[in-house]
Amino acid sequence: MNCYEHTFITRQDLPQSQSKTLLDKYEDIIKKNSGKIIKIEEWGLRNLSHIIKNNKKGFYFHIKLEGDGKTVEELEKAENIDEMLIRYLTVRVKKHDLEENFFVEQTSLENKQK
Amino acid sequence: MKRRKFTKKRQNSRYSKLNLFQKPDVKFFKSCPFSGKNAPTINYKNVKLLKKYISESGKILPSRVTSVSLKKQKELSTSIKRARLLALL
Repeated sequence: MNCYEHTFITRQDLPQSQSKTLLDKYEDIIKKNSGKIIKIEEWGLRNLSHIIKNNKKGFYFHIKLEGDGKTVEELEKAENIDEMLIRYLTVRVKKHDLEENFFVEQTSLENKQK
Repeated sequence: MKRRKFTKKRQNSRYSKLNLFQKPDVKFFKSCPFSGKNAPTINYKNVKLLKKYISESGKILPSRVTSVSLKKQKELSTSIKRARLLALL
């Protein structure tokens, strides 16, 4: 079993009800292919640094999982077809660090300024 | 007494011949910011840290400017490229 970190960006005009079904869909795919989800982080709506497929903003989802190479293969196969996604990235890590979250502080700071 | 003290100081000064075999007071090179105690770990999610090591136009700065060690520069460049892919940088 290997540790992976997986992030994907969805389009900005994604309705809130659909974001949950989207996450459930990929959770199912991971669990079916002998994978195990450890943590899910939602980074929320963020500005993209450059335009991707005519999108200026995007919702970020971050999943920390354990699994084989095949689980990641199946995940990316499903994500390739999905039209709601802009981009995805999987990174293999030696160990999950569950404490640090770089994107929570930013959202809380923005709320304070408002 | 005063004279003796003066001569002692002279021997330890920078320009004395003995100084060739001693460590210089002034450092000539900056040490690597990612090695050593309490150094930050490089991560593609840590945008704040990565922004220090790219130029204004978004290029990766060479290690001769930032004095990052060779091993860490490789890590840094991969993590910057990952952050670029996710449109964080």
